[in-house]
Amino acid sequence: MPQTTIYVSPRSLGAHDTRPPAVVTADLARLFAGTPALAGVSLRVEAGRTIALLGANGAGKTTLLRLLATAIQPSYGMAQVDGLDLGRQADLVRERVVYLSHATGLYDDLTARENLDFSARMLDTPERAARVERALGDVGLADRAETRVRDFSAGMRKRLALGRVLLGQASLVLLDEPLAALDEDGMRLVEQLLAAWREAGVTVLIASHAIERLERHLDGRVLLDRGLVAEVSGAGVSSNPLAPASERRQAVATG
Amino acid sequence: MSTLRREAGLAMAVARKDALAELRGRHATVSALFFAAVVLLLFGFALGPDSARLAAAAPGLLWLAVVFAGILAVNRLHLLETEDGALEQLALYPVPRRVIYAGKAIGGFAVMLVLALVVLGAVGVLFAIDIAAAWFPLLVTVVLGAAGIAAVGTFYAGVTVRLRAREVMLPLLMLPVLAPLLLGAVKATAAALAGDPFGELGAWLQLLVAFDVIMIVAGAATYGFLLED
Repeated sequence: MPQTTIYVSPRSLGAHDTRPPAVVTADLARLFAGTPALAGVSLRVEAGRTIALLGANGAGKTTLLRLLATAIQPSYGMAQVDGLDLGRQADLVRERVVYLSHATGLYDDLTARENLDFSARMLDTPERAARVERALGDVGLADRAETRVRDFSAGMRKRLALGRVLLGQASLVLLDEPLAALDEDGMRLVEQLLAAWREAGVTVLIASHAIERLERHLDGRVLLDRGLVAEVSGAGVSSNPLAPASERRQAVATG
Repeated sequence: MSTLRREAGLAMAVARKDALAELRGRHATVSALFFAAVVLLLFGFALGPDSARLAAAAPGLLWLAVVFAGILAVNRLHLLETEDGALEQLALYPVPRRVIYAGKAIGGFAVMLVLALVVLGAVGVLFAIDIAAAWFPLLVTVVLGAAGIAAVGTFYAGVTVRLRAREVMLPLLMLPVLAPLLLGAVKATAAALAGDPFGELGAWLQLLVAFDVIMIVAGAATYGFLLED
């Protein structure tokens, strides 16, 4: 069972109002074999917010997350994370972003502890050994630390991948279907993580088809349709990358 | 901590991870050693029992077996990264790309060195050649040859790892590039086994050193582009 308090170790983050927007994209697009998976998305996500990406299969949710994680390059358009350009400053962006994808990115022939220890080394996690043990406990796998990942169920693999996310010192967390393959305890773990990240001022973008389970943790929602933004609602997110959401609301209120 | 020391530590972490996975699974070494054994045995039968003939062919057969077994091994080491999105995750760590290349190449070198030494021993036994008499120059040749194959193999395995026809493409891409290394390694091995009567061993080893340096530098500088999608 997960421990009650989860340690998420964010980067040193300033007050919300002094931080640049966590994500800014302008006309961001990605084509695969000439077909647009993302067809020109403009968004602004304020720091410290938890935002859901919604949409049908093929709407562009995963592509947007992979672009922001620097896993793929944009075909055109601009994107920034914490004011850093994804194209020119990708190395710095990677220090600020952690990404949980559909695939877990784990090594089958290594044990749970060895997988997390390798990730902690690559992430330059301070107090590595202690943090690895803590992450194993947080995701409820302390008693399976010496088991090879090859022998894990899909749910246990997802838990271990969540443990790896905990080792990063992120200001932006990208979660792609974080509830997939998880049991009730696992889903509660994801909710605990979202609460911990909010407490720490970390920005979270979640793509999920089971978002109702996470509804109470959300500030805003972005609906994507065929690679474009169809609707933006809630707080902390705007489809205008140039103006903060607060200024935009003020402009609307004053007519 | 200096940047160089930190990057060396990270590269060793990648190499240790590959070595650990290989020790557990033995995916690369078992198939590569089996392949090398088959090559040596088949050529041994084809050449017949004439010991002079076998000794003359031994350097070429040694490196033929090592290079093809090495191609199998480096391909398998990169296939580790295709397990459940591991390559994408590896590319997302905030470390310089040259560190990932260096780590994969060091892991590949360790596997290649074990392979090459086992194959060298097998050549000695099967072809009745006194390896012990020239152990030091042979060891230097094997180390330099294994390093070159690992450097080239790591780069091209990165090129082909996402391709469906990677098992076909990898040797097609690697073998032309490895031609100078194979020439140098075969000639150095032949010179070492013959007692270096013409004093050419040093020149062939210099060729191997130059090849290794060029390939390692080029691989480290360009490997990052292979991780982009």
